[in-house]
Amino acid sequence: MAEHLLTVSRVGWRATFTDLGRRDTEISGVPTGGAADQHSATVANILVGNSRDATLVETIGDFGFVPSAPVLVAVTGASSTVTVNGGHADAWSTLVVPAGQEVAVTHTRAGLRTYVAVGGQLVAPRFMGSTSPDPRMGFAQLISSGQAIRLAHPSPLPGLRGMGATPFLFDVPRLDLAAGPWILDVVPAAEHDLVPEVHSLLAESSYTVKPQSDHVGLRLDGPVVHVRGPEIVSHGVPIGAVEIPHADDELIVLGRYRTLTAGYPIVGVVARSDLPLLAQLAVGQAVRFRWTSRRDAVAREQARAAGLAALEKNVTDAFGAVVKQIGVDWWL
Amino acid sequence: MSSTPPILKEYGDSAVMVTVDSPDAGFRRRRIVQLRDAFCSHRPHGVTDIVSGLESFLVAFDPLVTGPEHLAPVLRLVDRVATEAENAGGRVLDVPIVFGGHAGPDLAAVALELGLSEEEVVEALVGHELTIVLLAAAMAPMMSGVTLPRPVARQAQPRTNVPAGSVMIAGDNAIIQPFPGPTGWRVVGWTPLGIVDISADPPIRFAAGDRLRLRVIGTVEAADTAGILLGEASCG
Repeated sequence: MAEHLLTVSRVGWRATFTDLGRRDTEISGVPTGGAADQHSATVANILVGNSRDATLVETIGDFGFVPSAPVLVAVTGASSTVTVNGGHADAWSTLVVPAGQEVAVTHTRAGLRTYVAVGGQLVAPRFMGSTSPDPRMGFAQLISSGQAIRLAHPSPLPGLRGMGATPFLFDVPRLDLAAGPWILDVVPAAEHDLVPEVHSLLAESSYTVKPQSDHVGLRLDGPVVHVRGPEIVSHGVPIGAVEIPHADDELIVLGRYRTLTAGYPIVGVVARSDLPLLAQLAVGQAVRFRWTSRRDAVAREQARAAGLAALEKNVTDAFGAVVKQIGVDWWL
Repeated sequence: MSSTPPILKEYGDSAVMVTVDSPDAGFRRRRIVQLRDAFCSHRPHGVTDIVSGLESFLVAFDPLVTGPEHLAPVLRLVDRVATEAENAGGRVLDVPIVFGGHAGPDLAAVALELGLSEEEVVEALVGHELTIVLLAAAMAPMMSGVTLPRPVARQAQPRTNVPAGSVMIAGDNAIIQPFPGPTGWRVVGWTPLGIVDISADPPIRFAAGDRLRLRVIGTVEAADTAGILLGEASCG
């Protein structure tokens, strides 16, 4: 089938290609990287019938494009205004976008990163098997206004006669970006016991995201205690590690593009099921921590995974039913 | 062999850290490489990434597939099978280096700190093979085997932008900077070899376990090796 073109009509702060990241590259000094909010990226891809780790667009601020042919689009992540040809459209939903009409993401109200998936394969350069950026290694993957992105193997669904703008209604596991301080579950890490006071301090304090935060990590303003005792030999740091630097009165929470080793004490690690929320923390956002056990954290992650699996099944069934009903033999 | 088994500690719901309990730092550092290599060749299902530290390795896993209770027995097995042989297969790689001057702005200060002449520091660095113990940030080869009289202090004020190819030392380790960027290491020289080529697959031609033989060259000879990647040609 012919390729389609997506002409980028607007880019706000920063838009890049991404996917779920590199696999098994950290032993080579390259962070796994990929979509900061893996949950929203996965949901977006599922909603357009892509594989979960298909290439999609991660944007901070506005983003828009005009397709050369009808395409399936899903917008997830931060709470933003989504429009098609100027009219309101739903986020966290499967959208059918006609040829020549602009899909636009604007006015992010809560959260930071928005994900835009398109049914088909966005053609983008790869490094170590992934289209996600690695700025440290000169692999920027920036998308600029005016750029024509190729869409290979486009989904045939939006080209079918009789498809409305939002032909499907799925029960979608959304991120909860509520007003007020966000609460992150945190699991104790080995160095937690080096700083006993940190347990109650973290549980009782409120922190604010500082402007120096980025995809490497968040810097949080709020009360900290420093470690006394011998220096820690630089060791590997997991995604979501909560660190206290030696000198600065701030808390660091590491993201997927972290420097892989550090010598700061790791007092806790944000629960895997809350890492998507971590990626949505914008400057100025208030955040609180809630200590949780590994067992409870894994149970919450199981629930999240079950939600994704249910959505994936519903989408596969619904798309299959459409194809069956209309009898498209070129679907595969 | 270690007398006590490796230690496994939890870091959140998706990672554990493996360390070795010994008062001898040299032993801990050698043993952790053997354990890491053996763990990689007996890698349990559900392990997603491994991060190397000088005296540890972090194992990241999918908690819906595995967990500390499954990884601990694997580690005990690995402790029994890990031997010197696991990392003895490395190649010997030639690394031409321009020492001192603009290429190695910290060489004079390092010599002063150690009470040696610049020549004596260079002789110590080229006199022994350096073994790549791990790949650090952006695939930088980090080496052990630096035989200076004392560990070298880190930069008091980090340099903001050192060029790719900078040869740097700190503690008793050496590292080569693959991309221009900031560093807290002491820059003693520069190699015209490329370290990482992100357009190539694979992007590097060296691996942990390889041994680097440093060689002194002048700035004129440096032009001859421009464009060649570290490890593209081996020696010895």
